[in-house]
Amino acid sequence: MTLDPVTLALVQKRVDHIAERMGQVMLRTARSPIFNQSHDFSCFLTDGHGRLISQADGIPIHTGGGGLIVEAVLKFFDDIAEGDVFISSDPYVAGGNHLPDWVITRPVFIDGALFAFVCNRAHQSDIGGGVAGTYNPAATEIFHEGIRLPPLRLYERAQVRRDLWELLLLNSRCPDLLDGDLKAMLGSTQIGAEQMIELAQDLGAADRLRYFEGILDYADRRMRAAVSELPDGIYAGAEMSDNDCFEECEIWIRVIITKRGDTIHVDYTGTDPQIKGFKNSSISNTRSATYVALTSFLDPEIPRNEGTYRCVTINAPLGSIVNPRSPAPMTMCTVLPAHDMIHACWMALAQAAPDRACAGWGKVSHCNMSGKTPEGSTYVMYHWNALPAAGAVKGRDGFEQIGPLNSLGKLIVPNCETYEQLYPVRFLQHELRCDAAGPGQYRGGAGAIYRVVVEDEAEYAYRGEGQRTPSGYGVHGGGTGAAGSVEFLLADGTTWTPPQFGTGRLGPVEIRIDSPAGGGWGNPAHRDPELVLRDVRDGVVGVEAARALYGVELSADRRGVDVTATEQRRRSM
Amino acid sequence: MSLLPTEKPAFKAPWRIGVDVGGTFTDIVMVDRTGAIEVGKVPSTPRDPSEGVIDAIEVAATQFRISVHELLAGCNHFMHASTVATNIVIDGRGSRVGMLVTKGFRDSIEIRRGIRQNAWDHRTPFPSPLVPRYLRLPVAGRIDRRGVEIEPLSETDIRAAIEIFRTEKVTSIAICLFNSFLSDTHEQQAAAIIRNEMPEVWVTLSSVVSPTIGEYERSSTAVLNAYVAPSIVSYMRRLAEKLAERGLKCPFNVVQNNAGALTVDHLQHRAVALLLSGPAAGIGALGLYSAALGEPNLLSMEIGGTSCDVTLLSGGHADVASEFELGGYHVAMPSIDIHSVGAGGGTVAGVDRAGLLFVGPRGAGAHPGPAAYGLGGAEPTITDAQLVLGRLVSGPLAGGGRTLDLELARRAIEERVARPLGLSLEAAAAGMLRMLDQQLFHAVQKLSAERGYDPRKFILVAAGGAGPMHGSSVGRKLYSPAVYVPRLAGTFCALGMLNIPVKHEFARVHLGKLDGTTFDALRPAFEQLSAQANARLAADGFSGENAQVTREFDLRHRGQIGTLRISIADEDETDWRKVREKFLAAYQRSYGYRDTTSDVEIASIRVVGLGLFPAFSLGTSEATPGTSPAFTERQVYFEEAGGWTTAKVYQGRDLRAGATIIGPSIIHETTTLVIVGPGDVCSVDTLGNFIIRFDPPRVA
Repeated sequence: MTLDPVTLALVQKRVDHIAERMGQVMLRTARSPIFNQSHDFSCFLTDGHGRLISQADGIPIHTGGGGLIVEAVLKFFDDIAEGDVFISSDPYVAGGNHLPDWVITRPVFIDGALFAFVCNRAHQSDIGGGVAGTYNPAATEIFHEGIRLPPLRLYERAQVRRDLWELLLLNSRCPDLLDGDLKAMLGSTQIGAEQMIELAQDLGAADRLRYFEGILDYADRRMRAAVSELPDGIYAGAEMSDNDCFEECEIWIRVIITKRGDTIHVDYTGTDPQIKGFKNSSISNTRSATYVALTSFLDPEIPRNEGTYRCVTINAPLGSIVNPRSPAPMTMCTVLPAHDMIHACWMALAQAAPDRACAGWGKVSHCNMSGKTPEGSTYVMYHWNALPAAGAVKGRDGFEQIGPLNSLGKLIVPNCETYEQLYPVRFLQHELRCDAAGPGQYRGGAGAIYRVVVEDEAEYAYRGEGQRTPSGYGVHGGGTGAAGSVEFLLADGTTWTPPQFGTGRLGPVEIRIDSPAGGGWGNPAHRDPELVLRDVRDGVVGVEAARALYGVELSADRRGVDVTATEQRRRSM
Repeated sequence: MSLLPTEKPAFKAPWRIGVDVGGTFTDIVMVDRTGAIEVGKVPSTPRDPSEGVIDAIEVAATQFRISVHELLAGCNHFMHASTVATNIVIDGRGSRVGMLVTKGFRDSIEIRRGIRQNAWDHRTPFPSPLVPRYLRLPVAGRIDRRGVEIEPLSETDIRAAIEIFRTEKVTSIAICLFNSFLSDTHEQQAAAIIRNEMPEVWVTLSSVVSPTIGEYERSSTAVLNAYVAPSIVSYMRRLAEKLAERGLKCPFNVVQNNAGALTVDHLQHRAVALLLSGPAAGIGALGLYSAALGEPNLLSMEIGGTSCDVTLLSGGHADVASEFELGGYHVAMPSIDIHSVGAGGGTVAGVDRAGLLFVGPRGAGAHPGPAAYGLGGAEPTITDAQLVLGRLVSGPLAGGGRTLDLELARRAIEERVARPLGLSLEAAAAGMLRMLDQQLFHAVQKLSAERGYDPRKFILVAAGGAGPMHGSSVGRKLYSPAVYVPRLAGTFCALGMLNIPVKHEFARVHLGKLDGTTFDALRPAFEQLSAQANARLAADGFSGENAQVTREFDLRHRGQIGTLRISIADEDETDWRKVREKFLAAYQRSYGYRDTTSDVEIASIRVVGLGLFPAFSLGTSEATPGTSPAFTERQVYFEEAGGWTTAKVYQGRDLRAGATIIGPSIIHETTTLVIVGPGDVCSVDTLGNFIIRFDPPRVA
């Protein structure tokens, strides 16, 4: 039986509209800066079996986990009733990606039958655990990372389970924020449920499920069409982390991508075993990171639902860093090793299609800190203004400073002025680095110089992944971006480099971070000399680097290109 | 150009003139002392848009058989909006701008907070910064978080920067210092030195143009202002002079994006407020219809060739958004809340490679335009679908100077939509319209339901050249009580600008808890801002009842980023609890719940000075009910009526006040075409506009 093509197109737009609308409600009503500034949440819809229908709202690294959460709810409960609402988070038993991401799952009934689920996954401001703000770099077991939520019934037939609600608040350092944020999550799913009921009524009982099937099939076709364009072959990629959160060592993510016809198999066999620190990846997160790598490489216009990834199979060996055994800690996974997984996949895919190759993005280096406000409540500040830079692709230089790779930069860099009002800090500098960008026909992003005075005592959580080893690899002849560096100028005048991961309490300090730069795409000697001139004038590339790396000689006043000398120099390179 | 109505009654001085320069057409609207309206359209003249303005006035004068001088001398109120500023930004034709920034903070406009609309699309570069880094020059000196100087401004650094600005032939300078929203002393000091040293350059202060927290948005706004001000202000001055030479005696006002007017004298620090000002003027038209209908809640969709602008009037007021984006550049400036989507007559449809129908967001533009124009466009557009379904007819297109060719439209839809989807030609065309209607519906929902307004309580105004073709179908989806179609739908904004006041806004960031102490402490600041507003209004010639000054708070719950704008009445001024109550009520409306436990926080305070022009209303004519207007018939395709059906076709001039017709019907107007869906009842009100009601009424 065929579907009406017009209705199918209307339904696709409509489900995306519903997810986006839920996101709007969340954005405007949530309390924590992590939602209303960083958009660290995703709203999504599944069918009655937990198959993802739309996730038009949300951050990329949440892409692959939607279905797993709902599947776990369905596995735990065989008595789901109208008016029930569920909440869950645990990566080992509940299909979660990491503990701070709590998911509200609201079943939608029509004519008494379960029809769909509307969900909101959101990173809570605090869930207990070893350190305020959900990231505990000292964790060696998941038990150190906060409260674990199996699928729980938060509302029973439209009645809130007060005892459970109190239990949740009691386990947070920021119960007020948590309370407000949970209400915002519930509100957004309520709006989503109402809209899904309307959609179901408009489609009618006979057709509604067929059209869901139709949009999944459509995404499947789009993805297969994009995959088919790559040449068949076996492509390998590998990315390294230089630490396990406790010691310097080499931790490798290895991937083999086999592309055949319109299918892709991603095999992480050969990846190192799970590690002591909290950079292990849940299977949900491994799926998401893989999907981010594939979709961002291929065609970002493809709708992202269950159908999209039917042609993709993933093998993540149990006990490895990409699929650890319980109780390995893993809160950092959405950032790391997500970044390494995306890099490894991108490196493999670059061999298949060099024109589409993506140079490496800098890895995070900034710390978080927490302390007490004058009124006595707990604040958590992320030093986002030290975010790294992006790598280049053909046709664009790397973004000079951008949100982490796992969100493809969706996270927004704060204004320093706003942070001076919210936290006990005084900013000294927030500017681009010079001679850090990976050279290339398209160069990497420059990264940032970040200097800030913290005026009060505070508790620090370090996450200096990119502070030692360069992470912005170059592609297709492009060069590597510079590593980052992190230094603290202490009150006694000495400087100190914090460990890459760890926690500690410090009095007033000056933090100095040079954030990691992005990699370049293509041979730097092919870069338009006028762009090199502009970079030199802008102070992002030095005169020496222009000559040595790009083969560009400037005129005596450094306001023009010496064309003859440049041609000569480039011939000899 | 054609003026309406065709037989010309004597136009009674003094009259108001509004001129709206758009991308394709320049519209002129005149309203005389009795409220009689005349409108006209001439092609815009992009090279020097002021020519188009003068053209429109000359043609209007010819129609009246009076001289241009008489026409302008008889005008007591002249309003102007144009896309000139917008085009300068889009085409990258602005001034060479230099920036003075606080040492250590050169790069906010280049980092631009990393904001991208679509995260997944990581291959598209940012638009390049309007000021290159080598012209963003650092100055030592620092204001701290309380607004106190902790390091004096370095005059040496400023002089060094001036040398570079001179060498680099910078013509406009934006001064964007850190924390200047708390204290503008450093920016003022720097400006004084620059004005002294470089009297010929334009100077923009971020603390004046956008006194808001956030170095990125404030700097971006100041830079855009510096970028457009030299050309836009000179252009407006030239135009004002040209008009004065030709006899205009009243002030020459321009429309800002807050739907307030401003004289050219005040434009230097408000040039950026002219970006997107055209659609904001539509609010003035909603005000007129609101008064005439006795209906305070209106939602409008103004649909043109490529886009649809949605605006909303609630309780007689429009919501204000605190920032907008143009060409990827951010502007932090209070503006009428407008939601624009790429949906119009020229919106392109097709089938993607996996077999799914798409409609938009791309448009075919003026060239080649819809396939039916015969200008080489092969892609089917909404206009082509309307033609294939018999809503539009072959031949000259109303108000556009274009000719439609049915065969070309049929071929485009057949080849690009019907055949790939395995649909009949009509089903394909009707599907395109359904897709567009759903997008319009979502756009209207976004500005209403998402902002906490129930669209079922709003009359839908369908304006713009293409709006009246979608009013009936979108109104049905929205459960609108009625759809209002202005007869002059094509000149909605030009009419609207005749009904907006002069507006001066003064704001100051003030962060603190809303309580009695803060409330009292803020009184002197309010007094100061009010004095500024009053002085401006007095300079513009407004006093007494015509000068209205209101105070506002931007409030939020602690921890939130977005604020709600709460206007305070005189009686609230002594009691902060009343202000808090107003906020809680507004919050509940917007977000569906009331939170009485958490603190309410002040983000900023604002004073708005309005200079009110004498009220005016549109002329009415007495309704003569029971008349049976003449009509012809033609076959029109309505999906909801099962396909091809006989529709009555009316000429707009035959439909006088009081007339009532039943759909399916088509009304041909000079600048638009109105579709009355099957079973819908359309009546003509005393203004001569159309009201479409659903029978039976739509009840959700």
